[in-house]
Amino acid sequence: MPELDVMTERQTPAADSPPGTGTGKPLSVTGLRKTYGGGVTAVDEVSMEIAAGEFVTFLGSSGSGKTTTLMMIAGFCEPDSGSIVVGGRDVTRLAPQKRGLGFVFQQYLLFPHMTVWENVAFPLQLRDIPKAELRRRVGETLEMAGLSGMARRRPRELSGGQQQRVALCRALVYRPPVILMDEPLGALDKKLRDQLQTEIKRIQRELGLTVIYVTHDQEEALVLSDRIAVMRDGRVDQFDTPRELFERPRTPFVADFLGAANFLAGHVEEQTPDHTLVRLDTGGLLKARPQTAQAPAQTPRVRAAVQPGRLGLCPAGQGFCTGTVETVTYVGTLVRVTVRPAGGADTEPVRLELPAGRAPAPGERVGLTADPDDVSVFPDSVSAPELGVPAPEQGR
Amino acid sequence: MAGSLLASKPTPAVTPSPVPRRGRLRRALSDRRTRFGLLNAAPVVVYLLILFIYPIFSTLLLSLKGEEGGWTLHWYADAFRGANLEILLTTLRISTETSLLSLVIGFLLAAAVSRLKPLWAGLVMLVVIVPHFISALVRTYGWIILLGEHGVINNALTDLHVPGAPFQLLYNELGVVIGTTSVMLPYTVLLLYAVMRGTDRRLLAAAAGMGAGRLTIFRRIYLPLVAPGLVNAGILCFILCLGYYLTPALMGGPKQTMVASLIDEQVMRQNQWNGASALGIILLLLTFAGLLLLRLVKSLGDAARKRGAAS
Repeated sequence: MPELDVMTERQTPAADSPPGTGTGKPLSVTGLRKTYGGGVTAVDEVSMEIAAGEFVTFLGSSGSGKTTTLMMIAGFCEPDSGSIVVGGRDVTRLAPQKRGLGFVFQQYLLFPHMTVWENVAFPLQLRDIPKAELRRRVGETLEMAGLSGMARRRPRELSGGQQQRVALCRALVYRPPVILMDEPLGALDKKLRDQLQTEIKRIQRELGLTVIYVTHDQEEALVLSDRIAVMRDGRVDQFDTPRELFERPRTPFVADFLGAANFLAGHVEEQTPDHTLVRLDTGGLLKARPQTAQAPAQTPRVRAAVQPGRLGLCPAGQGFCTGTVETVTYVGTLVRVTVRPAGGADTEPVRLELPAGRAPAPGERVGLTADPDDVSVFPDSVSAPELGVPAPEQGR
Repeated sequence: MAGSLLASKPTPAVTPSPVPRRGRLRRALSDRRTRFGLLNAAPVVVYLLILFIYPIFSTLLLSLKGEEGGWTLHWYADAFRGANLEILLTTLRISTETSLLSLVIGFLLAAAVSRLKPLWAGLVMLVVIVPHFISALVRTYGWIILLGEHGVINNALTDLHVPGAPFQLLYNELGVVIGTTSVMLPYTVLLLYAVMRGTDRRLLAAAAGMGAGRLTIFRRIYLPLVAPGLVNAGILCFILCLGYYLTPALMGGPKQTMVASLIDEQVMRQNQWNGASALGIILLLLTFAGLLLLRLVKSLGDAARKRGAAS
């Protein structure tokens, strides 16, 4: 194929390596910025280093800039400034076909006039892979995805889940240095989604793929990712492991988006290297872990965040807060409990998740406790916990 | 033929099990829905019988009748002999040339239009289609004015000192093909535009992402996706050209006489209805052959693809 001058410079060292040795390459993004007409900044100074073989998710609601960032890495959309380096090669101004990345889209985008086999073989044919080698690799890839029996079918004869598996195969088969996935499971139902998540994760681990995954589903992000970049208004709020995001959220947005945290208003009463003491508006004293640099020693007003699952019950009068149990809802092995704190006139009820065995009765007066290590303290720049509003310079 | 098809359509729905033929018919007729359906089909059946079946069969009969009564095939033999055969071949040739040219131009035009924003696309399509509201006669004379020896085009070329100008653009095959192509173009553009609009452009982006160059994307993705439209448009064009009369008659020379002109001559000048009928039936058969070819190409393509998948 003479027109494929593009291919001559393609690096294919990974192509021959057996599965498991890691075909993924590192990717680094520096100061990426994209402004659309009308002065809307879609992506604002996004920088991150992604290691080879790492599974990274861009998590955010719609309009957070996650897809735009992905499209810039893919090359379908040109950044105003910043650079993208894949495996040591600057690809910022390259056309998508010269970047050699892999894609899986939400809409599958399989070629309808080709069979499953032809779809998966297509990227290999572009690379002039010898016929025997091509046959072996397409066969292996289809087998890995459990599609061996479907090779001769057309995409429209497959279910959504099968189609997305074919799309995944098509992206895997040429061992791209980085695979980009744009909400690939968004169009599937819950059960299928869970199943495919497991499969994607397994294949990613086996082949050592570098994957960048875009989703708005927190659970999906937590299940799949080595690290998650929580995005909001075109910026990365926090880029960390799921555990760190969960336990050490750096902004109220992250605490709310991932953990659906309770926010308790108050002010800092004491700050020591061991702990921070917050006097809550409801009167109680809440002990939080010591605060880092951005700690609001001078800020009088703060919000303390605790995940519902990290709160415990104790007798009324003890703990940092006393209140009345309002609702008790069984959710399988868990109970969701809301407690209306006494003393605060119009405070939000506090949400708890307890093991089903320890459910209180509605109307009961209880105290609330929390491990200081599970309590994060944020400066209260906005009076009410309005989380959509960007707080100034948090976590950056 | 089509009428009976319509009328008998509801029958299979009410006869699930193998019942003797007459019983089946009676049972079908006893169904109120079937009777209602037959009643509804009646106007169509009558319409088709009077305006479609009857004329075709009478033409067929006419073409098989000898001058002194009795049956004969010699009108057909005449059609395939000497000058008549040449005219038949000319018709096929000009139709093929016109179809190919209008496919190429139509493809380029439709591809360009399908990339425009809907508003602009609508406007361009209007420009393509509106001339069709004008009488073909007027348009043909328009072409004659443009293409004549002292027409706009030749004058411009002469003023520009293009070597060889003025060119003979009329009363030859070039003239006929230009004229008929302009008539056929809206059909190909409309058909191709519909197919292209229905093509998911993100598929092309997906192929690009995988590393396909522009030419490969066009050859391996775009062309196969719009191929059904190309085949349909080409065959339609060909069929329409076969019986086209006005433009070839006005813009062609003696060597570009097409079957329609021959029929005209036989009826109007020689009062030779039988021979004209035979030519008409031949045109009809050629049309059917075109349609058959369409099916054949389609099934061959499918078979080839299946074999490709198997290897």
